[in-house]
Formats: sequence, structure tokens, C-alpha cells
Amino acid sequence: MKLYLELIILLPLLGGIVNLLLGGRLLPRRLTELLACAVIWGSFAATLGAAASYTAPVTVELGSWLAAFDFKAPFTLYLDPLSLSLCLMITFVCGLIHIYAVGYMKDDPSFVRFFALLNLFVAAMLVLILAENLPLLYLGWEGVGFCSYALIGFWYRKPENATAGRKAFIVTRIGDIGLGIAIVWMFQLFGSVSITKLNSMGYLMPIGVITALGLLMLLAAMGKSAQVPLMVWLPDAMAGPTPVSAQIHAATMVTAGVYLLMRMFPLIGVSPTVTAAIAITGALTAFYGATCALVQRDLKRILAYSTISQIGYMMLGVGAGAITASTFHLLEHAFFKALLFLGAGCVITAMHHEQDIFRMGGLRRTIPGTFWPFLAGAVCLAGVPLTGGFFSKDGILGAVWLKGGGFYGTLYFVGLITAFITAVYAIRMVLIVFAGEVPLNHSLSKGEGKPLPRIMEWSLIPLAVLGVFGGLLNLPEYLGSGVLNSFLSQPGSHEGMLPHATELLLQGVAAVVAVAGISTAWFRYGGDRRQQRLALESAPARGISAFLMEGWRVDALYDFMFVRPYKWLSSILWQWVDEGCIDDTLDRTAALFGRFGHWIGARGDGRVSRSLIGMAAGAALMIGWLAWVML
Amino acid sequence: MIPVPFLTLLLFLPLAGSLLLLAMTRRESLARITALTIALAETLLACSAWFCQGSTTPQAAPPGFFLFLDRPWIETLGIRYTLGMDGISLLLVILTAFVTTIALLVSWRSIKERVALHFLLILAMESGIIGVFLSLDLFLFYLFWELMLIPMFFLIGIWGHDRNIYSAVKFFLYTMIGSLLMLLAIIGIYLIHGQQSGVYSFGLSELIGTNFSTATGLWLYGAFLLAFAVKFPLVPLHTWLPDAHTDAPTAGSVILAGLLLKTGAYGLIRFGYPLFPEAARTLTPLLIGLAVAGILYASWIAFAQKDMKRLVAYSSVGHMGFVALGIGAWTPVALSGSLLQMINHGLTTTALFAMVGMLDEQAHTRQIEDYGGLWSKIPIYSAFFVLFAMASAGLPGLNNFVGEFLILTGSFKVAQLATVLAFIGVILPLVYTVRLIQEVLFQEERRPLSMTDLSLREILILTFLALADIVIGMHPAPLLEVLKVPVALLTGGAP
Repeated sequence: MKLYLELIILLPLLGGIVNLLLGGRLLPRRLTELLACAVIWGSFAATLGAAASYTAPVTVELGSWLAAFDFKAPFTLYLDPLSLSLCLMITFVCGLIHIYAVGYMKDDPSFVRFFALLNLFVAAMLVLILAENLPLLYLGWEGVGFCSYALIGFWYRKPENATAGRKAFIVTRIGDIGLGIAIVWMFQLFGSVSITKLNSMGYLMPIGVITALGLLMLLAAMGKSAQVPLMVWLPDAMAGPTPVSAQIHAATMVTAGVYLLMRMFPLIGVSPTVTAAIAITGALTAFYGATCALVQRDLKRILAYSTISQIGYMMLGVGAGAITASTFHLLEHAFFKALLFLGAGCVITAMHHEQDIFRMGGLRRTIPGTFWPFLAGAVCLAGVPLTGGFFSKDGILGAVWLKGGGFYGTLYFVGLITAFITAVYAIRMVLIVFAGEVPLNHSLSKGEGKPLPRIMEWSLIPLAVLGVFGGLLNLPEYLGSGVLNSFLSQPGSHEGMLPHATELLLQGVAAVVAVAGISTAWFRYGGDRRQQRLALESAPARGISAFLMEGWRVDALYDFMFVRPYKWLSSILWQWVDEGCIDDTLDRTAALFGRFGHWIGARGDGRVSRSLIGMAAGAALMIGWLAWVML
Repeated sequence: MIPVPFLTLLLFLPLAGSLLLLAMTRRESLARITALTIALAETLLACSAWFCQGSTTPQAAPPGFFLFLDRPWIETLGIRYTLGMDGISLLLVILTAFVTTIALLVSWRSIKERVALHFLLILAMESGIIGVFLSLDLFLFYLFWELMLIPMFFLIGIWGHDRNIYSAVKFFLYTMIGSLLMLLAIIGIYLIHGQQSGVYSFGLSELIGTNFSTATGLWLYGAFLLAFAVKFPLVPLHTWLPDAHTDAPTAGSVILAGLLLKTGAYGLIRFGYPLFPEAARTLTPLLIGLAVAGILYASWIAFAQKDMKRLVAYSSVGHMGFVALGIGAWTPVALSGSLLQMINHGLTTTALFAMVGMLDEQAHTRQIEDYGGLWSKIPIYSAFFVLFAMASAGLPGLNNFVGEFLILTGSFKVAQLATVLAFIGVILPLVYTVRLIQEVLFQEERRPLSMTDLSLREILILTFLALADIVIGMHPAPLLEVLKVPVALLTGGAP
């Protein structure tokens, strides 16, 4: 088991390092690509090996890291059903993304940097998932932060790309303040930073302290998982190459915040305030993301807002105490969102780097190999009954319903409305991109479509299968028991079970909502109405749609409230306070002494030696005086 | 076991080397090679001290010291030649030898006038700094404290740029005022102790435990604190630093940031707290307050800088604020973190100053706005730059994080508000760092500069520093182990 766990992390890490040092120079391009893919699949194989020999949660110490007196944070890994299932998903999805990237980046000269960072990204994410103590988790947490920064700004020549990377790094790190404070505080309270120990010691502390700790961790999760109010970095993060978007938004990074809350749930879930705060954050974010996705024109931005929204669902699930349902949605979302992003990458490549969906159309005929998988992803997102996305989303909504009461009841309806909007924007996206005809002025209409590297489309198929049939992983109880459910649920967990009748009823409601959403989209964009709507929506957005287009104008607000004052005050502090006040005062004092010296000098004969003797005499006098006082 | 004069050899080898260089003022390449040889020999010597740990404790040595040397010097005044090395001194001496070697290497080509003198001053300074880290006699300590200033004054004054004279004088005045007060305080302790016990001595172990009335203790400690705060530097006594760094030659900046700033923190740990435990406790809120103010204030100002060296200089003030916070907290974990952070800051900032110097050497400008798009022109340089910048911004897995995190963990127990504020201070370095990276390495070039990538010598320098950064970041255990005994003795905790 130890060997498996070592391999899971070390393979991607070594792949990244070897490529960084030797790639391109000693290793030819093919070998660099091969190595990058091989280490991820090797890591997947090791995860399979670990899964095969898994019997009970294991803790493995690989070496010491931070250790000073009573503070200890070694390189210790922890494998339990939660971390194991996430590892399986991450290595599998990232493996496909790596293969896809070989095709996507085939003309890019900076492939070494790309693949090295992509590998390191996976390694950091796996550290985050497998960490047994919080500082180690933090190492992975910041590691993915750095890799995403470098990958979002991968095409660094364009200022907006570089700025997007920087924004992602800084905004997520604002949330990290919460995690940092929580770690040192918990160390003071419990004398340990081990996750398993902390989770079993919650009862030692008053509920108020637990609430505060939970809220701090929620802040961290908001940053990493792009939840309101720290969601602003994610839409801009689309500046990176598409495989990066898939990796960041589907399999890794963004789910880290949700994972943190799940991991620490035994500790923080005790506080009803914390769960309520998590739930409301999730519901609000789900609604926010969906409304923004409704009006976007940029294909990748639609998907980005959709990610924000879907992660909101996961948070909502955690807030309702439904860790299993949340995990299920996390895995399911990873499959269909990776699929959608990779499909979007195919579309964008085929359209010669066009991302504006209003300039697309008719692609179902030009690239059918992309169309069908993409459609599969979209129906999962829309929650079409019997797809994986339907079951996983329904699991969360069911859990929220089960909590009952006015608060969770309201959140249930927010979730339901969001599900409706989700179906609308998912189908709108498919209809605009793939239906209709190829725009006349585009080269595709003249039959000059860019041939897609075949591995790009091939890597979509496994994801499509998993997305659509992923529901089998965790069937509702009335259809037999869920594999995932029984695997993930720990003895003594208090996740409630709905009566079968209620569950069926709720799923019926969800199905109706999804169908209603799809019909709405069809009636707006289907058939001949597509062209009219496009003409209508192509006009510069006004009113509410402009508001949604700009993400509720939160960016502008933050710019006004934080960014500008920070920059402005920085200059003020420097030029006025530091150089103006502090330094100038000291300079003036010095000048005063200088003039005093000249005045003395004018009265003396100006000989240095005499001054020096005077100085010595003065010093002697002072020392003598001091001695006299002391004696 | 190494014979006793080992410490003397360690202390005076660089100074002897600098005397040797006096004879080579006309022969530049010989001077370079001689200086480098001496510096390398000194590094080897310093590293060999590592293996003296755990051997039998020398007689009469204070607890924790595994190398000790005590000889009478000016007996009538009770001044002795007392040197000692414990884990703290060991690490700082190794750092000194290492950074000095780097400083010689970075000025290998860039210094074209009075080469021998330049190298001579660097070596002389090395002796001064090592003396500070080894002295256990207050008079001796003061002597070396002054000795290390003078070469720096000349380095800035002679080889500096722009307003070099202004900056050199400013540096000198600031530190001089601080150290004169410290001298008075040293004499004060000497007299009070002599008065109480009848034994007039400057020996540290002799003086520890001297009783002071509250007011006297505060005055004397205040003088020490002032001298050390200037060196640290703590806000608002920091304004000499940006000027000195900006105008100093690269080697000057490297030594200033890498080593001289550490002497302030070292002095506080070795002398300030042990001599005046009560006064130190009374003034702890002040120290912690200034530390946190420095972290936030300097990091914020760094964001607005246009000159790269100035930016790194302000970042130094911010990072040293963390060191001060850990000392102020004075818990075992925080103090270990502070000491480790001194090493880390020495390595990382050395690298950053060296790298800015390398750019300046080629393009003759340090203005951020003159650069841009360097990644496509000099990728190896850029990769190193990102590494060190990230280390400086506290990315886990690299060295600075380890120190900062231990400081924050250890400080939270005693100063919660300050630690929470310091956590905010953890993200501010990231803000100016990513801005620097973006404007210098990314985007398109703003001025057509023809740049060549790193030479083998430069790659060698940076590889050593990078390895040190990564190794400490991933495996700080050996260093923390070395610090354990002295830190436990200082804080009164169990090792």
C-alpha cells in the first residue's frame, strides 16, 4: 500500500521535474509528451492497485517535513473511501486530458513548459487529496494555485492572459488566509494538525469555536472553489489553453474547496451555523453562476459560469450534510465538465480559435465526432432524466429537502430554479453552436474546416460514457443500492435516507423542471427561431442581460472597492508617508545637525583632529557621567 | 575533535585573506582567484563545524555550545576573547560563508575598477560578520559589530550608483547612532554588574542574570533594541535600507540583505532577550506591533515600486518583520521559525538581488517599465527568477514558507491579533511578486533590449541557491534539529 501511495504522487511529480529539466533539449517532443501522459496513467494504475488492495482507511508516513518541538507535520498520506474515489477520478480524467492535450498543443512551441506544469499540477492536487495533515494539504493547495497561475497565463505575451493568471492566484490566496488561521488556531486548541485526529476531537471545544473554525475554512473554500463572493477569478481563468481549463474546472483545483469542507466535516459539521453558511453560499453561487451563464457569448465563459454554479450545488450538498451525494456530484461533474471543456476545445480548434458562439453554427455536420459527446455532456449538465447528472444533482436536492424547515426549504427551491436555468443555458449552448448553418463568412462554410487531431475526439468518448452512465455508480435506493453510497458512507454517519415514495416524487419534480428548461430553450432557439434570437442577442447587451453578462458587475465593484484603493494607497504610502514624512523628517534632522556642526566649525579653527579630540572628550564625559550615576 | 584554535581560524581566515589581497592591487585576476579560494576555504571550514556537533562539550562552555574558546585579552577591564558556537551560530556562520562566496561570484565581472579593493572589503566584512555571530563577550561583539560596517560604507560609497555618497552616509549615520547607544548600554551593564558582584566582566554568561531596576533595565534594553531595530530594520527605522540597496553594487546588496540584516535579529536573540528578560517582556508588544506594521506597510509599499532593487529592498523589510514577530512571541516554535527564516531570507533575497544585478549588468537599468517579455528572450533566467520570486512569496514547498509558517504557528499562542494580521501580510508579497513577474517576464517587450541568457557562472550560482531553497523547503528537519537545543535553552522549554 505504501508503494502504491508513493507512486500515485511521485510519478506525476517526477514526470514534471524530468520534463522541466530535460524536455525539449534531451528528450524529443514525442518523448516529452509520452512521458507526461505515461506518468499520469502510471499514477492511475497505482491508484487502481491501491483500490484493489484497499480494506480499511490507512495512514502512511513517508518522511518528516515540518517538525519543531511539539509541532509536527510530516509527509503523511491518508487513504479512505473519499480520497480514494477522488484519486481515481483525478488520475483518470487528467490522464485523458493529457492525451487530449497532445493533440491540442501540437503546434505550440512551449510544449515542455506546458506538460511539465500540467504534471506538477496533478501531483500537487494528489498531495492535497491524500494529505493527512493540514499543512501538507496546504502544500498541495498552494501548489495547484501556483500551477494554475502559470497555466492560465501560459500564453503570457497577451497582458490579459497574464493578468487573468495573476488574478486567479491572488483571489484564491485571499481565501487561504482563512485556512492558514484555522490551521494555527486548531494547533493551539488541539495540539495537533492531523486531519484524522482533529476530526475526532471536535467535542472538546465549545460550539462557538467550532463555528469560527468552520467559517474560516469556508472562506478558504470560497476562494479555491470560486464561490460567492470570491468567484471572480474563474471566468477570467478561461484565458489558459483549453486542456488547462478542463483540468482546473473539472477534475482538480476548483473542487479542492469542497473537498476541504468534506474532509473536515466531522469537525465543523457539528455547528449548524457553519452548515447553514455553507448551504447558503452554495445555493447563492449556484444561482449566480447559472444566471450569468444564461447570456454569455463566449463558449468557454458559459462553461466557466456553469462550473461556478455546479460547484455551488456541491457546497449546498455539503451544507445539507450530504457528503456522499456531494461527492457523487463532484465525480459526475468532473466527467461531464471535462467532456464539455474538451469538446469546446475541439469546437474552438475547428473554428480556428473562434470562441464566440454567435459566430458558430451547423457544427453537428462538420464535426459529428465532437457533437455527440458534447451533446452527452450537455444533457448531463441539463439534468436530463436517467443521465448521471440527473441522479447526482437530485441526490443533493433530495438531501436539502430532507433537512426540511423554512431555511432549507427555500434553498431547495433556489436549487430547483437553478436547475431550470441550467437546463436552459445548456441546451441554448448546444443549439447555437451545433444547430443551424455554418455562418456564411466563415471559412468552414467553404469546406476549409481544420482537421482535428483524432486523439482529441477519441478522448471524449470515455468521458461521455461515464457522464451518461455514471448514474449507475450510485443508483437511488429503490433501484438497488448505490455502489458509491455504500463505499463512501462511514459507520455512524448520519446522512438520512429519503422514503422511496418521496424520493420518486422529488425526482419526478426534477425531471419536470429539466424538461421544462429544455423546452424553454427549444422554444427560444430551436429550428428557425435560432436565427432571429441570434440577431436579437447580437445587439450590445442592455439592462438585465448586460448585468448578467458582466457577472453581476462584481468585477467592477471590486475594482472600485479594493483594487484601485490598494494601488492608490500604495503610492501614497510610499511617496508621502515613507519618503515624505518618515524619511524627510530624518533627513531634516540630519541637516539640522549639519548646520549645527558648521556653526561650531565656524567658531573653531576647523581642524579635524581638534574636533575628534572634542568628540572623544564628550564621549568620555558621557561615560563618566553614566558611571557616576550608576555608582 | 578539532583543536581549539578552530574558531580563531574560522574568524580570521577571511581577514587574513583580505590582507593578502592588499598585495595584489595591480593584478586583478589573481586577486579574484585568491579571494574566491579564501571564501571557498572558509565555506568548507564553516561546513566542517557541522560535524563538531554532538562531540564532547568543551570545558567551561555554556550549555548548548559545542565549540568554545576563552582567552584573557585586556584583563584589567575584564575583556576576554570569548568565542562560542552553538546551533544558531553554526547555521548563521555557514550562511555567511556561503553568501560571501556568492557575493564574490556575482561581482566577478561587473566590478572593473579597483577589483582587489572590492574583494578585500568583502572578505574583511565576512570576518566582521562571523565575529558578530561567534562573540560571547560584549566588548568583542561590539568591536565586530563596528568592523562590519566600515567595509559596507566603502562598498556603497565607491562602487555604488546614483546617489551613492548620500546613501552610504545615511547608512552609516543610522547604524552608528544605534550602535553608539548600544555601546553606552554595554558599558552600563558592565558597571552595574561589577557593582553588584564585584567582578567586572564583559562576558555574556557572566552578565546574564544581572539584576536591574525596572527603569534601568528598560533604558539599557531600549538602547540595544534601537541598535538592533535599525539593523533589522523595523519600521520606522527602515528608510536607510531602500536607499542603501538601490545605490549599492550587487555584492553590497547581497551581503546587506543576506547577512547584515540578520545581525540585528541575532543580537536580539543572543543578547537582548537573555540579558534583559524582564524589560524584553515589557517591550514585547512594541516589538510585535512594529513587526506586524512592518510586514503590512513595507509589503504594501513594495507594490508601488518602479525600481526592482527598491522593490526587493522593501520586500526585505516585510520579510524581516516576520522574523521580528517570531522573536517577539518567544515561543520555541516561533523562535525556531524566526531563526530558520533568517537563513531562508538570506538565501532567497540574495538570489533576487543577484538576479536583478544580472539584468542591470546587461541592460543598465533597474526600472521595471524598461523590461517586459523577458521569458521569450532569456528563459533560463526567467525560470530561476520565478522560482526565487515564489520562494519569496512564501509558496509552500520552498524555503520561506517553512519559516513563516512556524513563526505564525508559534506566535498565535501569544499574540492572536498580530498573527491574524500577519496572515494578511502573507498574501501581500504575492501581490507585488506576481506584478513584478508579469511586468518583467511576461507580456511584450517594452524597450528593445538585446539580452543574453545566463552564463555558466551565473547558472552555477543560482543552481546552488535554488537547491538550497528547495531542500530547505522540502526537508527543513536537519536545520530545525540543529536549532533545537539552543532554542530550548533560550526559551526555557524542554528540547
